[in-house]
Amino acid sequence: MAERYLILEDGSSFKGEGFGSSATTTGQVVFNTSMTGYQEIVTDQIYHNQIIVFSQPTIGSTGINHDSYESILPTAKGMVVRDLASISKNRQRRLSLDQFLKQNNIPGISGIDTRYIIRKLRKTGTIKGSIVDVDDDHAFDQLHATVLTNQQVAQVSTPKPYPNPNTGSNVVVIDFGLKNGILRQLSKRDCNVTVLPWSATAESITNLDPDGVILSTGPGSPFDLPETVLDMIREIQSKVPLFAIGLGHELFALANNATVTPMLSEHHGANHPIRQIITNQIIFAAQGQGYAIDAKSVDREKLIITYVDLINGTVQGLRHRDFPAFSVQFFPDAAPGPDDSLDIFDEFTEIMSTREE
Amino acid sequence: MVNQIHKVLIIGGGHTDIGHETELDGVIYQTIQTFQRLGIKTLLLDNNPYSISLESVQPSNMFIQSVTVDNARNIIEKEQPDAILPTIGGLLAIRVTQELLETGVLGENEVRILGMPPLALQQISNPALTQQFLTQINQPVIRSQVVKDFDDAFDVLRDIGYPVIIKSVSPWGDANRQLCENEDQLDSALESGFEQSRIHQCVIEQSVVGNKEIEMVAIRDKSGTKLLISGIENMDPIGIHSGDSIMFVPTQTLTDREFQTLRDATLSIIQALKITGVLHTQFALNSETHSYYVTKISPYFDRSVSLAAKATGYPLAHVIANLATELQLAEIKLPDNYAKQIALMEPTVDHVVAKFPLWPFEDVPSADDHLNTVMKSVGSTIGIGRSTEEAMLKALRSSQLSPKDVLPQIKLNDNELIDQLIHARSTQIFALVEALRRHYQVDELSELTKIDPFYFYKIKHLIKIETETIANPMDAKTLEKAKYFGFGDGMIAGMWQVSIDAIRTFAKESQILPTYKAVEPTAGEFDKVSTIYYSTFETENESKKLEAKSALVVGRGGNQLGPNTSADYFTVSLLNQLRKADYKTIIINTNPNALSLIPQLSDKQYVDPIQLGDLLNIIELEHPEVIFIPGNRHYLTRELKKRRLPVVVLPPDQEAGVELSEQANLELSLFVTDDEVTPIELVRLLSGDHSNQLDQVSGFKTPPTLSEDEQNLIITQAVAEAKKRNLRGLVQVLFLQSQDQVKFTGIRPARLTEIAFLNKVTGVNWIRILVQQKLGLLSPDSLATFKLNLHPDRVVLMQFNYPFNQLRVKNQAGSSQQQVGAEIAFGSTDEIARQELSNTEQKNK
Repeated sequence: MAERYLILEDGSSFKGEGFGSSATTTGQVVFNTSMTGYQEIVTDQIYHNQIIVFSQPTIGSTGINHDSYESILPTAKGMVVRDLASISKNRQRRLSLDQFLKQNNIPGISGIDTRYIIRKLRKTGTIKGSIVDVDDDHAFDQLHATVLTNQQVAQVSTPKPYPNPNTGSNVVVIDFGLKNGILRQLSKRDCNVTVLPWSATAESITNLDPDGVILSTGPGSPFDLPETVLDMIREIQSKVPLFAIGLGHELFALANNATVTPMLSEHHGANHPIRQIITNQIIFAAQGQGYAIDAKSVDREKLIITYVDLINGTVQGLRHRDFPAFSVQFFPDAAPGPDDSLDIFDEFTEIMSTREE
Repeated sequence: MVNQIHKVLIIGGGHTDIGHETELDGVIYQTIQTFQRLGIKTLLLDNNPYSISLESVQPSNMFIQSVTVDNARNIIEKEQPDAILPTIGGLLAIRVTQELLETGVLGENEVRILGMPPLALQQISNPALTQQFLTQINQPVIRSQVVKDFDDAFDVLRDIGYPVIIKSVSPWGDANRQLCENEDQLDSALESGFEQSRIHQCVIEQSVVGNKEIEMVAIRDKSGTKLLISGIENMDPIGIHSGDSIMFVPTQTLTDREFQTLRDATLSIIQALKITGVLHTQFALNSETHSYYVTKISPYFDRSVSLAAKATGYPLAHVIANLATELQLAEIKLPDNYAKQIALMEPTVDHVVAKFPLWPFEDVPSADDHLNTVMKSVGSTIGIGRSTEEAMLKALRSSQLSPKDVLPQIKLNDNELIDQLIHARSTQIFALVEALRRHYQVDELSELTKIDPFYFYKIKHLIKIETETIANPMDAKTLEKAKYFGFGDGMIAGMWQVSIDAIRTFAKESQILPTYKAVEPTAGEFDKVSTIYYSTFETENESKKLEAKSALVVGRGGNQLGPNTSADYFTVSLLNQLRKADYKTIIINTNPNALSLIPQLSDKQYVDPIQLGDLLNIIELEHPEVIFIPGNRHYLTRELKKRRLPVVVLPPDQEAGVELSEQANLELSLFVTDDEVTPIELVRLLSGDHSNQLDQVSGFKTPPTLSEDEQNLIITQAVAEAKKRNLRGLVQVLFLQSQDQVKFTGIRPARLTEIAFLNKVTGVNWIRILVQQKLGLLSPDSLATFKLNLHPDRVVLMQFNYPFNQLRVKNQAGSSQQQVGAEIAFGSTDEIARQELSNTEQKNK
C-alpha cells in the first residue's frame, strides 16, 4: 500500500499507509473511543465531513456485515487507524473494509500513532485535517484554504419521503442524518414508519396523523439549520408525542430556549457513565456530540433534565413538563455501543399507545 | 453500611497451583490495604509461605493454617468477625464459605457474607442450581442429561441433536469425554460409557466444541450500577481449556452486535445474582449462527479477572474491595495515582494485550502435552502492543525460556504437522507458524483448528515481515518495520548475523527509538492516570525519566514450575526495601499475575519482554542508579555487567566459594558480613523419596530433631566453613546426617524458597537485611540482638506442592524444581504440624 500522510491544521504531519480510496480528503478530525463497531461508526451520517480517528487499534477484523450498516451510503471523509486488518466475512468473502472504503470513495490511513493524535486533539479541540500523498506546503495551504460545508444535514437527509410499513404505531421520523439503528428499534416494535426530509413542515407531518414523531440524529451544528426547523418542533411537541435524539435533542433544546454551545473537542465513545436522574441508575450508551446543552440555561419551568454525563457534566436528556416530549443526547439505539438504554424506545411506544386509545 | 463492618475474615486461596497463581495473593494484599483505609480490621486465613498478604496484617490477625472449614470455623468462633469475604481466595474460598453457610456456622455467629448474597453462593456452588438459575433468566445453557440406557440416550439426542458429548457418571477410573457426531460414534461411546460407570449411567451433553470461547468481566455495586471491565477472546476454540489458550484483550474478532449481546448477558447475570463485586462469565459463541451459550459463571476473582485488570489498567482490586463493603461506585475513593472518575468509567483501551501460556513439560517430561479441557499451563506472559502482531510477538518472546530472544522452530513432517493442527499440543503456536510457512491455506487451517482466520492473517503478516527482514540486512526501513511489529533486537541480530549492539547502534543512528505508552483505561481522556507503560515504536513517548534516584528491579517473568512464586515474593520484598531506602522503584515484568506488578508496590511498571534489548531501552531512558536482578539470570547479568551497568544480583550470585555434593538433609542458614557470621536457623531438608538428594528436596522442617551436641557441632563447623570463604549475605551450610554422624557436604548462597521460609520462621525480613547490606546501609550491630532460637516447642513445616495429579502423572516423588507452590504449617508438635498439611491434601482430593 502507498505511503500517505495525515496532516493537521496545526502544522503536524504523520506518515502512514493509505487504504481505501486513494483520493485526497479534508475534514474535521474527530476521534471515537468505542471498542467495537467500526462499520457502524464509519457508516453513521453524523460523521459527514469528518475524518475519524479510532482509539481501538485493530480495525477491520470483522469485515463488512450486512446487519452493521448505519446508512447505506457513508459520508465520512476518512478513517485513521493504527492497525488495519483486511478480512472479508460475508458469504462470498468479498467485502473487506478496504474494499468497502474504495467503493465508497473514502480514504483511510493506517500505521498512525492514533493515541498521540487523540491526546493532542483533546487539547487543541476539533481541528481540520487531510489525508494526502505528499505533506508539502501546498498540501497545508490547501488544507487551510478548504472551507467545509455547513449544509451537512441537507446533504445527508433523504430528499424524498419514504415509508417503512408495519402494523403498529404510526411514527414519523424526521431525517437529519438518520442512523439505521433508530429504524431498527422501531421495526422491532412493529412501528409503521414514514421518514420525512429534514425540512418537513409541521403541516406535512400532522397530515400523516402520526402517533409520535422522532427527530433523528445527524451531523454538524444545530445552528446551521434555519429557524423554521425550531418552529416545526415547537408546533409538533404541543400536538404529538415527540422523541429527539442527538442533533434532534440539540434542536429540541434550542426550540425550548436552552443554550447550546460547542465543546472543545467532540466526544465520541461509550465509556462515560450517564446518570438517569429519576432512578439514580447509571447507564452506558454510545455518545457522539460536538455540542452540549448548557444546564444553567435550561428553563426548569418548562424542561426537566433527565440524564447527565458524570464525567463532563453535560446534559444528556430533557423532558418537557407540559407535553409528552423528551430527548436524549446519546444514542439509545446503540449500534455500536451498549444496549443499556434501549428501553427508551419502549417508553416512547408506550406513550404513543396510551395516546392512541 | 460500612460502619456496620468492623472486622472481616478473608479466606485465602492456599498454595499456588495450576489455575491460580499469585494473583489471589495480590488481590488479597490490595483488599487489606483498602480495608485499612476504610477502618476495617482484617483477619486472614492462608498457608502460602510466599504470600505478601500474610505479612501485611498484624501477627495477631494472621492465621497461618490450612484453608479448611474447621480452621475457618475456629477463627469465626473465637474472633467473632462481622463478615466473611469469600470472593478473593479462588474456588477454595468459595467452597469453604459455602460449607460454613450450609452448616450454619455463619448464621450462628452472625457473620455476613460480603460480595454476594447467600442465595448466589448456593446457586453458583451447585451445577444443577446454576443451570436452573440461568434458564430462569433466559440465558442459554448447554443442555445435558443423565441417561440410564440407550433408549433414554436417543430420546435426549432427538431433542438436542448432534454433536453430543458422552461422559460416564462416577466412572471406575479416569473416563474421557467422548465427542459423537453420528449414530455409530454414539453407540460405541454409550457402550463404553455405561461400562465404565459404577452405576451404569452416562451424561449426554450438547457439544459446543469448536465454538469461539469469549469471556467477560463485569462489576456491580449494591445500588445496581453495572459496568463491563473487559471482554477477553480466546484464540483457541471451546475444547481447549481457556487457561491453556492464547488470549487477547480486547476481543479481536467480534462484531459490535456479538460483543454487546455478551455484555448484556453478563450484566443481566450479575444483576440477577445481586453480586456486589466482580463477575467473570464464559461463553461459547457461534459466529455462524449468531448464537451463544453461557458455559461458566464465576463471581469471584480469578486469573481472567486479573488479566482484565492488568490489560485495562482499571483499579479493579481496589474497586472490588470497596464494593464488597457495600459502597457505591460513585462513592469510591481511589489511591492518589488514579483520576477520581476512573472507577465509574467503562474501560476503553487503545492497545492490544496478548497472553501466552507457559508449560510444565520441561520439568515434568512424562506428562502428556496435548491440550484439552483439563488445564495444564502453570503460568503465562503478556505482551502489550499497538497492533495484534506486536502484542502477539512480544508475548511469545516473553514466553520463551531462552534469554537470547530467539524463537524455536519445530521439525515435523506433514503428517505430524497435520496431526498437531487437529490435536493441539503445547507447541501449537509453532505448528501454526510452520503450517503457514508451508503455505497451507488460511481457510483450510481455520477449518482444521477452528481458530478464526484473523489470527492466521496476523501470523502470516509476521512471517512476511520476517522474510523481508532476512532479505534486507542493515536496512533502516526494514528495521523500523520489524520493530514496529514487535521483533526484538535479539531476533533481528540473529537474522542479520550481527551483534545486538550492532543492531542497537544502527537503530539509534536511524532514529528508530522506542516510545512508551501508558496502560490506562480511558484511551487518553485523562492525563497521569497510570504508572504502567509498554514500549512500541511510534511518535509520542509518554514515559519520562523519574526525577529522583531510582532503582530498576528485573522481574521474573511468567511462572513456571520451580521457585518462581517465591521469586516474585522476593521481588516484592526487594521493591519495598528499596523504597524504604529512598529509591524510586521501577519494575519490568511480563507476568499478568505477578505481585510485583501491583501498581502501588513500585513507582513505575514496565510490561515488556525481559530480554536484553528491551531492558537496555528502559535503562537508557531511566538511568537507574542501581539495577537489581533477583535470582540467577546469568546471561542478562553478564551482558549488563559487560556494559558497565550497576548490576546487583540478589541473593548474591557467588560462584566462588560454593561447594556442593549431591546429598544433604540438614541446613544451617547464616548471615555473613565482613565482620561477623550470625547463625539464623537450622533446618531439616525433607525429600519425598528419602534419598537425601539435594535436587529431590520437597520441604523443610524446623527444628530438626538433633541432640544438643550435634547442634553445637553443626553450628561451630558451619561458622568455621563460612569464615574460610568469601561468601556474603545469606549463606547456607549443608550437612548430611546418617546413622551416627553428621558430615559437612556443602555451602552455597541461600535460595529463594528458603528465604521465604526463613522470613516466616524467624519473623525477620531477611530480604531487608540483604538489601541494606548491598546498599551499605546495614549497621554493624543490627544483627547483634538476633539469636538463633530453635523453639523446641514449635515445629514449622513447609512442603512443596506438585501438579502431578492435574497432569495425570503417577509415581513421581517431586523435586524443588517441580513445585507449583508450597504450604507452611505451624504446630506445637511434629504431628500437629503434619496434620495441618495433610488437612489440605485431604481437602484437595
